[in-house]
Amino acid sequence: MNAHTGTVSGKERYRSGVMEYKRMGYWEPDYVPKDTDVIALFRVTPQDGVDPIEASAAVAGESSTATWTVVWTDRLTAAEKYRAKCYRVDEVPGAPGQYFAYIAYDLDLFESGSIANLSASIIGNVFGFKPLKALRLEDMRLPVAYVKTFQGPATGIVVERERLDKFGRPLLGATVKPKLGLSGRNYGRVVYEALKGGLDFTKDDENINSQPFMHWRERFLYCMEAVNRAQAASGEMKGTYLNVTAATMEDMYERAEFAKELGSVVVMIDLVIGYTAIQSMAKWARRNDVILHLHRAGHSTYTRQKSHGVSFRVIAKWMRLAGVDHIHAGTVVGKLEGDPNTTRGYYDICRDDFNPMKLEHGVFFDQSWASLNKLMPVASGGIHAGQMHQLLDLLGEDVVLQFGGGTIGHPMGIQAGAIANRVALEAMILARNEGRDYVHEGPEILAKAAESCTPLKAALETWKDVTFNYQSTDTPDFVPTALAAV
Amino acid sequence: MRLTQGCFSFLPDLTDDQIYKQVQYCLANGWAVNIEFTDDPHPRSTYWEMWGLPMFDLADAAGVMMELAECRRVYGDRYIRLSGFDASHGWESVRISFIVNRPPQEVEFELLRQEVAGRSVRYTTVRRPPQHVSP
Amino acid sequence: MLDLPHARSADASGNEAPLPASFDLRNEAEAAGITATLQQLDQELIGLKPVKDRVRQIASLLLIERIRQRAGLVSSPPTLHMSFTGNPGTGKTTVALRMAKILHGLGFVRRGQVISVTRDDLVGQYIGHTAPKTKEILKKAMGGVLFIDEAYYLHRPDNERDYGQEAIEILLQVMENQREDLVVILAGYGERMTNFFASNPGFRSRIAHHIEFPDYSEAELLFIGELMLRERGYRLSAAARKAFVDYIALRRTQPLFSNARSIRNAIDRMRLRQADRLVSDLDRMLELSDLETIDSADVLASRVFGGGPVVDGQAAGSAK
Repeated sequence: MNAHTGTVSGKERYRSGVMEYKRMGYWEPDYVPKDTDVIALFRVTPQDGVDPIEASAAVAGESSTATWTVVWTDRLTAAEKYRAKCYRVDEVPGAPGQYFAYIAYDLDLFESGSIANLSASIIGNVFGFKPLKALRLEDMRLPVAYVKTFQGPATGIVVERERLDKFGRPLLGATVKPKLGLSGRNYGRVVYEALKGGLDFTKDDENINSQPFMHWRERFLYCMEAVNRAQAASGEMKGTYLNVTAATMEDMYERAEFAKELGSVVVMIDLVIGYTAIQSMAKWARRNDVILHLHRAGHSTYTRQKSHGVSFRVIAKWMRLAGVDHIHAGTVVGKLEGDPNTTRGYYDICRDDFNPMKLEHGVFFDQSWASLNKLMPVASGGIHAGQMHQLLDLLGEDVVLQFGGGTIGHPMGIQAGAIANRVALEAMILARNEGRDYVHEGPEILAKAAESCTPLKAALETWKDVTFNYQSTDTPDFVPTALAAV
Repeated sequence: MRLTQGCFSFLPDLTDDQIYKQVQYCLANGWAVNIEFTDDPHPRSTYWEMWGLPMFDLADAAGVMMELAECRRVYGDRYIRLSGFDASHGWESVRISFIVNRPPQEVEFELLRQEVAGRSVRYTTVRRPPQHVSP
Repeated sequence: MLDLPHARSADASGNEAPLPASFDLRNEAEAAGITATLQQLDQELIGLKPVKDRVRQIASLLLIERIRQRAGLVSSPPTLHMSFTGNPGTGKTTVALRMAKILHGLGFVRRGQVISVTRDDLVGQYIGHTAPKTKEILKKAMGGVLFIDEAYYLHRPDNERDYGQEAIEILLQVMENQREDLVVILAGYGERMTNFFASNPGFRSRIAHHIEFPDYSEAELLFIGELMLRERGYRLSAAARKAFVDYIALRRTQPLFSNARSIRNAIDRMRLRQADRLVSDLDRMLELSDLETIDSADVLASRVFGGGPVVDGQAAGSAK
């Protein structure tokens, strides 16, 4: 499939009129990507009858210099450098009519340290291109030269742990429930109970901003009373993600400043505020010694379907560059979408300094992070203490485990729910470090720990073996022997 | 009040055999093990006193247990914690930390509130003097 | 594998599977790696039959001890500290390494590393310096074998306030109280070790196994020398071999002789002289055989034949 189609050169190339993209220099099967190139991998689904090579070349063209017709003004530029080059197209294993297109972009096409510019270039126009039925950005290789122009996580896993004095185990959190309707005073009660019980963090939900039932200042004031009380009662650092998401940057800065003045170690934003606002908040967080939690609100609208949109692994990469400290990255066993292998890929992207190509995890490229801070993944949604061994096995120890319902829904109360989670976690870490086969002996280890902890016993009885076993929609498509580019 | 800092504070106090196994886990990971003690375990009290230098290059946890026994003999009335330090690139930090000794009477904290502008409160966590002395 | 202190007593009290009534000795020995280790020792050390016999005896004793423990015929944990006496270069360090492997294979030490030290590593220069130094070494040796070479230097009978005494006391305490945590091997020249034990009965009583390392015979030394040369891609000409036999006979009688180590040093110097001889005549064409042959001149140029002692100490010091 990857044959030359003959790039037109010289005077012919710039004759007015319409020319196939693959002959304009957007299809260069001999091109070897430079170390400094940005590489994007698209899943291209051409309209019936459209040549996949031409469709892929069109994606390269429309995401870089091309327009629908030849323009003479190209000749005023070093056009060959600026043309994105599709250099490889493969059929997607097991998905007829879909193709993986590898496209390389010269570094000069992008503004330093700007996710807005990077995303406007790569996904700006091309997703609506008519000759394509669907298009998905599966993965990107970000060259070290570009990675180095970004701040990266404001705090990072290492410093977050040092600041909070919490090492060697996942952090525990809970989202305050019900999501909506609690007054500030009632809301703070939930925070206090959960933190006093033994959680490290509580969290606002994505849509808790400043509504008639609870304006943001009320929430902040009561939450910080709760955090400080719990801290004094346990002798341990505590935090609550105060969601500062608001309509304008000015509002967000105001809320973040107030959170900082009240002594909060962490603030929170939603993905829907946009990439520029996220980068601004990351800078603010770095400047003010505050951890920045990101809720990936809205991502499923474009990450979940396999044929069209942007993979969450790309979003995770962008967010590590943009500089948030926490990102929701899936639970595998919980209530939200998450294939184990794909999720593993996301976690690696957040936490490792180097990601080797791993097709079975959906990771298509070697990616060096050039010592950019590590980003703490957050597992949230439909998880409970009885799954502790699976969670530790699947997600590792550098993760925040958010047990919202699993804490607040405990039959003996919120504190008991928090105790159950913390005891289950510590017992599992202890067993793991002792070299026990904790994955298989998990239920046994939990039962043993529950002997001296009634809240854990009650939790295990209440949720027994609740799991959400549905087919994942976003799984990697790969042939184990397939070779990927670069 | 039970101070809940460290990795295992919600479990019953670890036995020496359990501590030994955790230390061996650190050594197997190539981490240096450090013993620290304090009578000031405030949540923001970062620097506990070091019981000697961190122990590098040990093969077996018995060496750490020997030092811990000595530290307990001298400072058994204080908090003692063990930590494992990872010098590898990208971490260069503590990777695990847990309490291995508590004083007979645990510390108590209380919250001081200073009312400032509007409804804001400035919080300070301070140590509460012992209410009663155990016999 | 015994991986924890007191694991044996825990096993005994725990509800383990019923004890086996019979034991397959060959399997037991192979599983513990004893067979392979003894073979290795046999191959890497020339001669030394009495030493190998003693090592085999000890290994057998430990194997049976281990099986007896599993059979429930347990006494208290055995004392395993040893002394290796003999002149330098008789293979004490090598045997210590293999002994550690045997002890580890049988689970008498948990990790099996060998920490090799001398007085300078244990004893400090001023008050309060010795205890931390000794403890530092002990901590590193926990789970393995502490090999103290020329142990008698710890004791200075002429100076009552010598800091060595402090190290001795700490060592004795650990040798008694932490027998499950480490095995100490004291090593040194035979006679001086005898005196050392005489004036330090505490050590004497805590040592379970004494192994004497005899000097190598002249024939063994020649064999060792030829083996070392072969490993380095050299051989002796007939005349050189004859000269080397004379060399060995002479060298043994001279001061600072240290058995295999002296042979190795002699060979290094022979290679130097051979190279020097070859390079001194730049005009000739070299044959392959020239490159690999040590000639009698390369041997006979040694100062050993001039009656003066060779300086062996420097090379011996760096040859560990």
